[in-house]
Amino acid sequence: MRGFEFLQNITVGQYLPTGSILHRLHPVSKLIILFLLITAAVICSSLTGLLLGLAAALAGLALARVPLRYAFKGLRPALPFLIFLALLQIVAIPGNDVGNVLGRWWIITITTKDFLAAAVTMIRFVALILLISLFTFTASTRELTHGTEYLFKPLQKIGFPAHEFALIITLAMRFIPLLALEAERIVRAQASRGADFGRGRMSLIRRVRRMMPVLIPFFLAALRRSETMVLAMEARCYTGGKDRTKLIQFKAHMSDPIAVAIVCILCAGILAAGRMGLDMRLWHLIGG
Amino acid sequence: MDKKLIRKIVIGGVMSAIAIFLGATHLGFIPWFAGASLTIMAVPVIIGAVLEGPIVGLVIGFLFGLFSLIQGAIAPTGPADVWFVNPLISILPRLFIGPAAWLVYRSLKGHVRVPALILSGIAGSLTNTVLVLAMIGFLGHLPWLMIGTIAVVNGLPEAAACAIITLAVVAAWQKIEYGRRRSDLE
Repeated sequence: MRGFEFLQNITVGQYLPTGSILHRLHPVSKLIILFLLITAAVICSSLTGLLLGLAAALAGLALARVPLRYAFKGLRPALPFLIFLALLQIVAIPGNDVGNVLGRWWIITITTKDFLAAAVTMIRFVALILLISLFTFTASTRELTHGTEYLFKPLQKIGFPAHEFALIITLAMRFIPLLALEAERIVRAQASRGADFGRGRMSLIRRVRRMMPVLIPFFLAALRRSETMVLAMEARCYTGGKDRTKLIQFKAHMSDPIAVAIVCILCAGILAAGRMGLDMRLWHLIGG
Repeated sequence: MDKKLIRKIVIGGVMSAIAIFLGATHLGFIPWFAGASLTIMAVPVIIGAVLEGPIVGLVIGFLFGLFSLIQGAIAPTGPADVWFVNPLISILPRLFIGPAAWLVYRSLKGHVRVPALILSGIAGSLTNTVLVLAMIGFLGHLPWLMIGTIAVVNGLPEAAACAIITLAVVAAWQKIEYGRRRSDLE
């Protein structure tokens, strides 16, 4: 643990208001688009399909007018690890021994299939990172909450607590800065009593024990706070869900169904690319 | 609105906030040797489930997973964060932490409160470790041998740490007495 400052180190999301066409979409459309693209990228196991997904993410970033420098911020620390992961995929995970054997040392056999698997893994991660970044650039946490509530509203008829779920997200977002201040207070208080949070060589048990004087008061303070919150909500006769109006209304435009339709076609394309055997053709094209 | 429901909502929100906070500030990581660290981020999920039931645990687990998905993409703090951009690794396994912890607590609390809390902490943490690692292995990111080693070397101390914190917090909150150390002020 370094220092006593927690509040300034927390960022949830990274909304970048550029007012682009993607920013103006309805929160529900944004959530549906994110869900579709992530599902497609996770299911798809073909190189061509994932390259299509990656292209979609890059096109989205361009449409959202997000500087690429920002977008790649999340990739930079991940890159060495991605390379390590790819190497591991090539060396350690036994492939199906399909494709040409490129080399054989000791117990390690490297085939073209291994390289294909490594490329698929890397591109999937890069595409996912860019897609999630794109979402956080274009949707604020408020939109996330409202979007969730709108999205699950139809399920309310069968008893799904859509409003309560959205309220939990709102509360969590609201409580994070409060908890940060609480944690700062507790760390300072314990340090003033001589608690040592410095780094040093010590056993695991001592490390865990060292965290206790901070973690336990922290949890208890949070629970106490939530009890106050319950009381406050009840005293004000809080009722949620039905017939409740909102301060901020989001309106859907023509661009919403169009955007969702385009993404649906794109996802179909991503998933179909694997079926059509394009991978092998692409592979032969680059000389594999 | 029912007071019980309001409490479920508020505890769900606050525990989710703690899970997010512990992840974002690294307070939830206890550094160990060779850059590995024990994570106690499952604790808020376990406590939420023990106090308010399996649905609340499920929701906290979902938000905890969603946040680790976002963090893996925009602000990876360690190399392993990259894996978590895949929702099959970050969200799906975390849904089971709360229900598993609640199930263990529920089935034991009638007999013995303290062991029930300890075991539900262990169950919640192990659910997290085992399901996340199984998913990583299933997707072929790591060889199974390595996964087994991580599960034993990292997972078991992690479960112990989670159990201790769960016990200490819930016992203090519900005023359950245990052990020989008691405050002189009471």
